[in-house]
Amino acid sequence: MPLLEVDNISIGYHTRNGYLKAVEGVSFVLEEGQSLGLVGESGCGKTTIGMALMGLLPPNGSVSTGRILLEGKNILVMSDEEKRRIRWRKMAMIFQAAMNALNPVQRVGNQIAEAILVHNPSLEKEAALSQVEGLFDLVGIPRERLTDYPHQYSGGMKQRAVIAMALACHPKVIIADEPTTALDVIVQDQILEEVRALQREFNIGIIFISHDISIVADMCHEIGVMYAGQLVEFGPWRTVFESPAHPYTKALLSSFPTLTGKKSDLVPIPGETPNLINPPAGCRFCDRCPEAQAFCKTTPSQWVDIGSGHKALCCRS
Amino acid sequence: MELRKYIGRRLVQVVIIFFVILTVLFLLFRLAPGDPVSRMVDPDMTPEDAHRLKVELGLDKPLGIQYLVYLKNFFTGHFGYSFHYGEPVVNIIWSRLPNTVLLFTTSIILSALVGVFLGKIASWHKGKKTDSILTIGALVTHTLFLPWLALIMIWLFSYKFGWFPITGMISEDVWLDPDSGFIAKSLDVMYHMVLPLSTLFLIHFGAYLLIMRSSMLETLKEDYILTARAKGLEEKVIRDHHAAPNAALPVVTSVGLSLAFSINGGALTETVFTWPGIGRELVFSVSQNDYPLAQASFLLIAAVVLVSNVVVDVLYAYLDPRIRY
Amino acid sequence: MTVRERFPLLNSFLDGWSIFKQSLLGRIGLVLLILFALMAVCSYIPPLIDPMYNPMTGVDPAITCCTPPGMRHWLGTDFMGRDILSQLLAGARVAFMVGISAAVMSIVLGVAIGMTAGYMGRFIDTLLMRLADMIMVMPTLLVVLILAAVFGQLNIWTIVLIIALFRWPGVSRIIRGQTLSLKQRPFIEAAKVAGASHSRIIFQHIMPNVLPLAFLFMTFRVTSAIITEAALAFLGFGDPGTVSWGMMLQWVWKTGHMFKAPYWLLPPGICISLITLSFYMLGRAMDEVLDPRLRKEDQTD
Repeated sequence: MPLLEVDNISIGYHTRNGYLKAVEGVSFVLEEGQSLGLVGESGCGKTTIGMALMGLLPPNGSVSTGRILLEGKNILVMSDEEKRRIRWRKMAMIFQAAMNALNPVQRVGNQIAEAILVHNPSLEKEAALSQVEGLFDLVGIPRERLTDYPHQYSGGMKQRAVIAMALACHPKVIIADEPTTALDVIVQDQILEEVRALQREFNIGIIFISHDISIVADMCHEIGVMYAGQLVEFGPWRTVFESPAHPYTKALLSSFPTLTGKKSDLVPIPGETPNLINPPAGCRFCDRCPEAQAFCKTTPSQWVDIGSGHKALCCRS
Repeated sequence: MELRKYIGRRLVQVVIIFFVILTVLFLLFRLAPGDPVSRMVDPDMTPEDAHRLKVELGLDKPLGIQYLVYLKNFFTGHFGYSFHYGEPVVNIIWSRLPNTVLLFTTSIILSALVGVFLGKIASWHKGKKTDSILTIGALVTHTLFLPWLALIMIWLFSYKFGWFPITGMISEDVWLDPDSGFIAKSLDVMYHMVLPLSTLFLIHFGAYLLIMRSSMLETLKEDYILTARAKGLEEKVIRDHHAAPNAALPVVTSVGLSLAFSINGGALTETVFTWPGIGRELVFSVSQNDYPLAQASFLLIAAVVLVSNVVVDVLYAYLDPRIRY
Repeated sequence: MTVRERFPLLNSFLDGWSIFKQSLLGRIGLVLLILFALMAVCSYIPPLIDPMYNPMTGVDPAITCCTPPGMRHWLGTDFMGRDILSQLLAGARVAFMVGISAAVMSIVLGVAIGMTAGYMGRFIDTLLMRLADMIMVMPTLLVVLILAAVFGQLNIWTIVLIIALFRWPGVSRIIRGQTLSLKQRPFIEAAKVAGASHSRIIFQHIMPNVLPLAFLFMTFRVTSAIITEAALAFLGFGDPGTVSWGMMLQWVWKTGHMFKAPYWLLPPGICISLITLSFYMLGRAMDEVLDPRLRKEDQTD
């Protein structure tokens, strides 16, 4: 039984302009101790998937079809109370610390201890705080900073605190949403290294969400590339990286300076993402696709298996 | 340490502002058209007394000297004599100060607490009936014309129903009775305070409710609320412990900003209910052309507003660690 | 090209209007304000019908005391036999006059000072903002009172002027903040590089961007001016030559009719409260039009 299985989920938002299909028919599987990366431009639905996994979609958003199985149990049919109980204990999230993920008027230590206490009501506050001290050691924050407020922390330290918070209840799955954006490159590397070490130590499954394909490649066993609400390519990172099948992945790879590959000229992708309220009938990328042909516009694209777990949503592959 | 520095800086600012007000008032009373002496010296005084007072206030000296005398008199608590009461002004205003502070602070604290509480409730029920009732109720009570509301309160609860005294702060039979103790006297004052306090409360709580409501709705969109929700906290805990303390900060700011507005209302309320406070004394002295009393009352009111501002700032700093540290 | 495309200002106005229309509070406020405006316009009619309907000087010769509503005087008369309805109509005119002129003056002052402070920066900024801080903590009503003490009876335009002089700091702070953030924008930099003068940058580039905000604040300033004038008149320091709603309340209160003549006590108070409420509702609806944060709910991902 896989740790986490996302089976053909579609997610939409009710907006003033109509029903926005933010995610359509996405499936993937995450095994224990593995990491999986979701890459794509902003608005491609990757964060929406993360939020749906945590059960934190905004009130106007909902999962319309599909199943999310955590250790075999569909969390979409659970009651709010059941969902609240598994949150953080089974599945935690590393937020982007630059985005105010810590409450400015509470001490950092207390905020982390709170997560422990809510899932272990019998624990004393002192015991929880001493656990937090252990977590601080783990992520490399001096213990005496426990009673500081978030604004007294540097960016990197805030990010470490957020990681410590994610580890607080020893979850099986961690969703990391742009965990290092807005940090400088050196701190970013340190933090990614730490996450990798912690993952190995605790055998955690990580879903890594980023717009930066080079970071994802650096971190993940498998990569899913998303475009306009759909998964368009999926496979082991090396194959996706070395022989991308979908034209969008190719474009994405050439628009970023890579860490592993040779330095190539950055090519921005021309054109705009399609409107997700009235998505086009055919391939969603065809308007920007250099390899597009007449039938791409009209025929819905199909999954093509390329072998050894590598597949792409493109008729031309 | 940081907090002490912050408060220190605010105090210096307040002292400077007060000094400017002091100076402007001096210039206003000496340089405005008309005879400045007639504004300082009671026209009913005997010529000898009047002359003595003139010398005492330095009115026979050039303006610069007068200013120094004015400052000296201010710092030694000498504000001249009230034309109407014939007493030293300082005695009158000191006896009125506690009454004003009692009514003013009670009304602000009460309306802020209730406003924050109801604003929180309104934001929880956003878009539902409770929210509409609270929001519209707040809008309507907040925009009522204060003196009119005061008259309506008296008309309804004192005149029609006879539940509360029409005016004043104490009943003579209670206070002149040697047998009544502290508790009886306090209860008597509280009984007299019900209507003026309700008037001020009704006018003010709505503003705080509306601010708290919208601030709460803004705060609930913050990322740390998402974090709290992700941690598996219950909604009630998220709202009370994570959102509310952050959302209350703008309310504290607005209490500070609306202090001047509140003291206007305080003066009107005191006047209609003949509550013996400084605000009423100011209105009364202006209508009686009792210049020394008007000047001193105004200065004291300015001081009350400025000191309350510092108190609010300290409270804000206490609630927001970003200022404290 | 459609008409809307040709006039961008009209276009943004129509966009704003379509959001405004969705706000129930805004619609109620607007309707009430139109009614009050009609009252103000109608205030010229009663004195034309009969001089006894003049709000200030007209006395019904048949009446010498306060009388309840009837056919001859729809809302009754005051203690001298003056018609309450014509006073109420005249009061609407005074309220608009005071409210709008004080608001316009304080907004012009606030915008000018705020833009100067924000654009010039440094010493001038500090000086102006400290001045604003100082004025902001002053209770306007009591300031007018103390000025009335020194200068004696104030006429209505002096009162309006004083209110305007003491109500600009709030606006100027907001406008200053807006100007500061605009100053950082590339198009201002571009204009500077292109050699535009300071006045051109201020009037061509900054002003159009801060004006909607200033307009929003105007609705709030109108109410505060109306309230201040009414309170002043209520306390007996208004212009004795104008019939304002505050003045009417002062007459009820001072002549001791508040318990005997509810038909005289209620209308002016209701009018002051309602006009305040309607400007307030209008302001809130406009706030929704101007504040893009309120439309944040629609954002996804």
